[in-house]
Amino acid sequence: MTMEFISDDQRDALQEVANIGMGQAGASIARVLGEFVELSVPRISTVDAAGIPAALAALAGDGVASAVRQAFIGELRGEAIAIFSEHSAHDLAELLAYGDALDAPAGCELLLDIGNVLVGACLGGIAGLLRTEIGFSAPSLLADQVATSDLIQAETIAARCALLVEVRFGLEKRVFRCHLVMLMPEDALAALRRALDRFIEEF
Amino acid sequence: MTSLSHPGESCALLGSLVERIDVGIFAVDRTGTVALWNRFMAVHSGKSSSEMLGQNLFAMFPELPRPWLEKKLESVFVLGNNAFTLWELRPYLFRFPHNRPITGGLDTMRQNVTFLPLRTPGGEVSLVCGTVFDYTETALAQHSLHDAIAALNKEKDAQAQLIVKLEAAQNQLLQSEKMASIGQLAAGVAHEINNPIGFVNSNLQTLKKYCEQMLQLISTYEPTEAQITDSGLLSRISNLKQALDIEFLQEDLPALIKESEEGLVRIKKIVEDLKDFSHVNESEWQYADINAGLDSTLNVVWNEVKYKATVDKHYGELPAIECLAAQLNQVFMNLIVNAVQALDESKGMGTITLSTGHQDEWVWVEVRDNGRGMSDETRRRVFEPFFTTKPVGKGTGLGMSVSYNIVQKHHGRIELTTAPDEGSCFRVWVPVKQAQAAAP
Ligand SMILES: Nc1ncnc2c1ncn2[C@@H]1O[C@H](COP(=O)(O)OP(=O)(O)OP(=O)(O)O)[C@@H](O)[C@H]1O
Ligand SMILES: [Mg+2]
Repeated sequence: MTMEFISDDQRDALQEVANIGMGQAGASIARVLGEFVELSVPRISTVDAAGIPAALAALAGDGVASAVRQAFIGELRGEAIAIFSEHSAHDLAELLAYGDALDAPAGCELLLDIGNVLVGACLGGIAGLLRTEIGFSAPSLLADQVATSDLIQAETIAARCALLVEVRFGLEKRVFRCHLVMLMPEDALAALRRALDRFIEEF
Repeated sequence: MTSLSHPGESCALLGSLVERIDVGIFAVDRTGTVALWNRFMAVHSGKSSSEMLGQNLFAMFPELPRPWLEKKLESVFVLGNNAFTLWELRPYLFRFPHNRPITGGLDTMRQNVTFLPLRTPGGEVSLVCGTVFDYTETALAQHSLHDAIAALNKEKDAQAQLIVKLEAAQNQLLQSEKMASIGQLAAGVAHEINNPIGFVNSNLQTLKKYCEQMLQLISTYEPTEAQITDSGLLSRISNLKQALDIEFLQEDLPALIKESEEGLVRIKKIVEDLKDFSHVNESEWQYADINAGLDSTLNVVWNEVKYKATVDKHYGELPAIECLAAQLNQVFMNLIVNAVQALDESKGMGTITLSTGHQDEWVWVEVRDNGRGMSDETRRRVFEPFFTTKPVGKGTGLGMSVSYNIVQKHHGRIELTTAPDEGSCFRVWVPVKQAQAAAP
């Protein structure tokens, strides 16, 4: 896929920032959860709006999944989506000190909590490296146990196209699997390019 | 806005803002020791800031979900990012009494809480600040919205049910209108046929008499033949007799007339049956003889039956029952026609058994066939409007649903036993008197 939004240099810088950021994030998440976190190498791509649902479905694989969305605001802005396959998030209830009996609201709150931790750690890490402040909206549930192809409806997407940064999470010895996707609309990319240029100059 | 000239002044202003803002603000350090407790928190919890400062939050509020909240605070300390609780999922963090002690609503204040990291100049997160927003009004509004939606949905369901009923009623109306016009047509035809039958019958009677007289005359003449001497005439007579086969003619003529008379009797009977069946002018409840109704109905559909089945009748003795006779006849007709249509023609003539009987205050009519019977699905759905297994144009699927409604109107019931390839048996039960059956 061609990267018409950012130059090759910028792309390399973004990849590097993402790599370092995820490494840091992995360490702090491990401190919160008290278990070792496996993180994939971040993958960066661009998609047009119509392609977003399919891209998310491709990440999450077959079956059903739930998703949490959270906006990030600041110089960099966009939305992060955490996708949890099946009920795998329930596996983390004990790590976040949820009781044994997870009723529907508690299960939902757990998803939001995990999403908040992952999104905050990863995007916070990237923003820190790019020396820019970002804030986060409260997380909200995007989809609850739906077919992966229905996680998000193409008609509801306002952006024309988006930059997609994708990371895969897992915990050793646990079924928990999660994909984190950072989506930035085209018109927010100027700020990202500026921040990446700053980063390139400094190194 | 006032510009702040002095750092101390701005600090004091900020302090008073935190104190007075209509949002709960508190802060704890990593050990859970309270470092900030604004007036909102004090007013709603009943614990003043002087009581709270320096104390452990969990010791002062034992009802807090401690392990979970500690984990949450920890994540803010470690990650340096906000964390949240939402009232929709977790109605409240602190059990604060609601803000409508008089007008009522919810027992506890609904809260959204945001946990913010507060950093020291060095960048470490030293305190986590909780901001508690009162969402009780929103929650109340949402509850009443939920209630309204639930009420609307209930209404919608009720309407959907009404629509179903309306459809059933309309189907019935359609069918009964059809039946009424068939009835009227039948009555009209019966009436029209009555006139010619009348004069054909009286002419036939006269004709019969004339024939008898002619034959009498001939038989009187016959013995005189012997006295005829003209041989030409004699041979003409005997040739003619031979050509006409006069002996047969003399025998056959009365037989033909008798047959015609019988035919006329049958026509009259059919006309009577048509009138009976349609009961055109009687849409009122009346006492009627069910056996007679069954017979007249059978006559009306006889053409459909006679080449396909023999009919066995086992009628019991029945009291006259209070009914809408034309409508009950319609039920019998639907049952008989269905029975005939269910027969397997490849097995030759079928048998349709019509039985009636009487038990206590109830009368029953049974139509049994030895046809193809029904599958489980068909048995479950026979009474459903528009359910038919017959080819397009042959069945509308209304017969049994209309019959069901008619029997229902008589406070009766229909029993059905059926087995594939063995046949089906419908038994209609109706009470002798309506008032009794209608009473609970
Ligand atoms: N005696 C029977 N034996 C087997 N099947 C029957 C019998 N009576 C009714 N059925 C089944 O029930 C269905 C519904 O009967 P119903 O009289 O309501 O409609 P129909 O005969 O198909 O059409 P319509 O009576 O409106 O011309 C029939 O299509 C047939 O499959
Ligand atoms: Mg029928």
